[in-house]
Amino acid sequence: MAFISSGYNPEKPMENRITDIGPRKYDEFYPPVIAANKGKWLYHEILQPGVLVHVAESGDEVYTVRCGGARIMSTTHIREICEIADKHCGGHVRWTTRNNIEFMVDNKSKLQPLLDDLAGRKFAGGSFKFPVGGTGAGVSNIVHTQGWIHCHTPATDASGPVKAVMDEVFADFQNHRMPAPVRVSLACCLNMCGAVHCSDIAILGYHRKPPMLDHEYLDKMCEIPLAIAACPTAAIKPAKVEINGQKLNSVAVNADRCMFCGNCYTMCPSMPLADTEGDGIVIMAGGKVSNRISAPKFSKVVVAFIPNEAPRWPKTSQVIKNMIEVYANDARKYERLGEWAERIGWERFFEKCELDFTHHLIDDFRDPAYYTWRQTTQFKF
Amino acid sequence: MAKHQTPLLDQLESGPWPSFVSDLKQQAEKRAKNAEGLDFQVPVDVVDDLMGLLELSFKQGRTHWKHGGIVGVFGYGGGVIGRYCDQPQMFPGVAHFHTMRVAQPGGKFYTTEFLRQLCDIWDLRGSGITNMHGSTGDIVLLGTTTPQLEEIFFELTHNMNQDLGGSGSNLRTPSDCIGQARCEYACYDTQDLCYDLTQEYQDELHRPAFPYKFKFKFDGCPNCCVASIARSDMSFIGTWKDDIKIDQKAVQAYIGGELAPNAGAHSGKNWGKFDIQKEVIERCPTECMVMDGKTLKINNRECTRCMHCINVMPRALRIGDERGLSIFAGAKAPILDGAQMGTLIVPFIEAEAPYTKIKETVIEPIWDWWMEEGKNRERLGELMKRQGLQKVIEVLGVDPDPRMVQEPRHNPYIFWKEEEVEGGFQRDINEFRKHHLR
Amino acid sequence: MEYEEAKAKIIEELTKKLKSKSKFYFNDLANIIGAKPRDAKKIVNKMVEEGALEYWSSGSTSMYGMPGTGKQAHSEGED
Repeated sequence: MAFISSGYNPEKPMENRITDIGPRKYDEFYPPVIAANKGKWLYHEILQPGVLVHVAESGDEVYTVRCGGARIMSTTHIREICEIADKHCGGHVRWTTRNNIEFMVDNKSKLQPLLDDLAGRKFAGGSFKFPVGGTGAGVSNIVHTQGWIHCHTPATDASGPVKAVMDEVFADFQNHRMPAPVRVSLACCLNMCGAVHCSDIAILGYHRKPPMLDHEYLDKMCEIPLAIAACPTAAIKPAKVEINGQKLNSVAVNADRCMFCGNCYTMCPSMPLADTEGDGIVIMAGGKVSNRISAPKFSKVVVAFIPNEAPRWPKTSQVIKNMIEVYANDARKYERLGEWAERIGWERFFEKCELDFTHHLIDDFRDPAYYTWRQTTQFKF
Repeated sequence: MAKHQTPLLDQLESGPWPSFVSDLKQQAEKRAKNAEGLDFQVPVDVVDDLMGLLELSFKQGRTHWKHGGIVGVFGYGGGVIGRYCDQPQMFPGVAHFHTMRVAQPGGKFYTTEFLRQLCDIWDLRGSGITNMHGSTGDIVLLGTTTPQLEEIFFELTHNMNQDLGGSGSNLRTPSDCIGQARCEYACYDTQDLCYDLTQEYQDELHRPAFPYKFKFKFDGCPNCCVASIARSDMSFIGTWKDDIKIDQKAVQAYIGGELAPNAGAHSGKNWGKFDIQKEVIERCPTECMVMDGKTLKINNRECTRCMHCINVMPRALRIGDERGLSIFAGAKAPILDGAQMGTLIVPFIEAEAPYTKIKETVIEPIWDWWMEEGKNRERLGELMKRQGLQKVIEVLGVDPDPRMVQEPRHNPYIFWKEEEVEGGFQRDINEFRKHHLR
Repeated sequence: MEYEEAKAKIIEELTKKLKSKSKFYFNDLANIIGAKPRDAKKIVNKMVEEGALEYWSSGSTSMYGMPGTGKQAHSEGED
């Protein structure tokens, strides 16, 4: 490999440097029909799962085909998306907040050829490259974090469980039989880069063991005051240890206070906490962000722990699939999963979903815990 | 022939959902073939080694990544996340595997020309693996080496007029919903406000001086498709003050069954004939709607704009015309003291460019307060909890408004300030004793 | 405070603390020079541009240190 210079001169980093320009402006990328009708849309209709039409005051229409996408995407795949967008959409394409790809055409006659083209594209392993769906009262694409593919503190993988769960609920990605949208999300540790705490169903990676301490190397690799300061619960203290007759500076972890967040490992590589048996998945349910009918809600922990079962996480997938099925059959039209659980009562939720209620599910963390306990005679037998 | 055997990952190639494993494999093959004869600036087998490493994680149930403190390009305190693998001998291709965050355009609209330019840079100088997109909204370029960071930045800025996004104790790359570009519910131009603030606050985005991360997100209406109320320190949600516009003919068309309720969102199950009374009027959280003969009436003054009726009958009901946005502050994920939802701090503000009032009377006073009072790694929401909503009101210089609370306080422990009480706190004990014996 | 004076003060303090740690929060730097955050930011930015300070990031949090100091930089071969 020969180093290819971009023109950057490391001796003079400020020479010709361009900074603070931000992203490209949104309207450089609008398809013409969007640019012409922005702010003048009258209404929309979902023609079939994954296919929308928006109609403007001018009478213009834009047909959108929404395709599920894996968040991990190669340039090979992006180039294929470009090829499709050039062929059908005048060189325009967009992504949704939930990792879906949207192809837009400005005339109904262009819709079917686009759909046919997308349907025929499969990966070598047999999966769809561009499954159409993710609209209305169905299960939408799972938003997620990095997991084992790129993160240093994950308690589970992200892309793997997402693929496994989406395969399991795939029919409902392409259907509108749910009472309301079901939004599933995954965060691979409790730092929640993915902010899954307001999802209908959240898959959360969780460690259950405090960090190991590599005493012999700790003081050489890490700055102890920084490791101590990294702990959100002040569970880490400086400590002197004796290893092979040598007195060494290190740290001690108060296991009772450790919430298994991994922040210390970020600052100090001599405090790894990943563990085959310790790590796994917490399932949360009943959150939402929409203000529709009821206020936004946090998700609640409904399964305290499921081991990591790579490569297909069967127990996680099964719990989620079952919860969705019970909800689909029992909830009223327009009722989100959390609204349904509140109407029937959480005691009934656990019964109907055949989930064990263990002591782990009773909140015991600081003040907010009290507000989750029952303070009324109204409950169900 | 694949460099590493990946029997576990291979099991994720089957099934209908797009397989990231198949995608990684096609990328690895493409690099190995190198039909275009690129002089790859990172190891040619980087994707093979990425898969090999991931397979090892699948086998052991543990990650193999270490964090690195490298932050970005010269002069920037964010935009790059350092990553090193803990098995560099086994997987030298991913020994150094840093992430770059590239600021995404509003609404995530692209031209293929832009995407191809980006792919060209990334094929030459990185792994060719991306996230479209990261959780905050950036385009994430996954995996390159330290010497390539400046080169990529140089090409992005010089050839693509494109900057990096945020990480660390910065303003993070703001993100928006599709808004007025293609949605009839949008009460303001989310993309324009997002872009305007992103440009205005480039220094805050690239040079960390905040106590911790800070996120802006922009939702065009209370449906909150980008979840701003749950995951942004400052959330801008479109709303309106006047009346919902009603097309009575279209209302009848919904009742008559000519139009599908909820724009067809419930087409997968037979829910029976549309019943406006049951599905709309009785579902309204404020009970402000009524059918008066063939006329739908809304008592708009009592409406809390939850969007349900509009969502169900988008061709009959439209958002009002006196539009603006509400601002919520302090949302965050659980660490440490539990998750927080955004708290309403500005019930209504106009959202017209150049947005001076939003910047000068809301964003900047809040930032000044947080920068001065916030502890290290204290999110805005935690500072709000620690110092109270009263303090926010004081910082904003606004009058208390019952809209900002769900209900009044539960305890009478009002910490009266001396100046609020007639005569102050200093009293004459001798004068008192003239009337009250010891 | 003049820039040169502030810079000298920051470097002096950071050097003193180098024995125990090499990375500091922005607020620590602002406190050293007793400046309001916005004024401190101008000084700190300039020091970064001159190469007297450099950033360190945990991904979620940013810190500052003097170039080449710290144990982790060494272990990563980035110094």
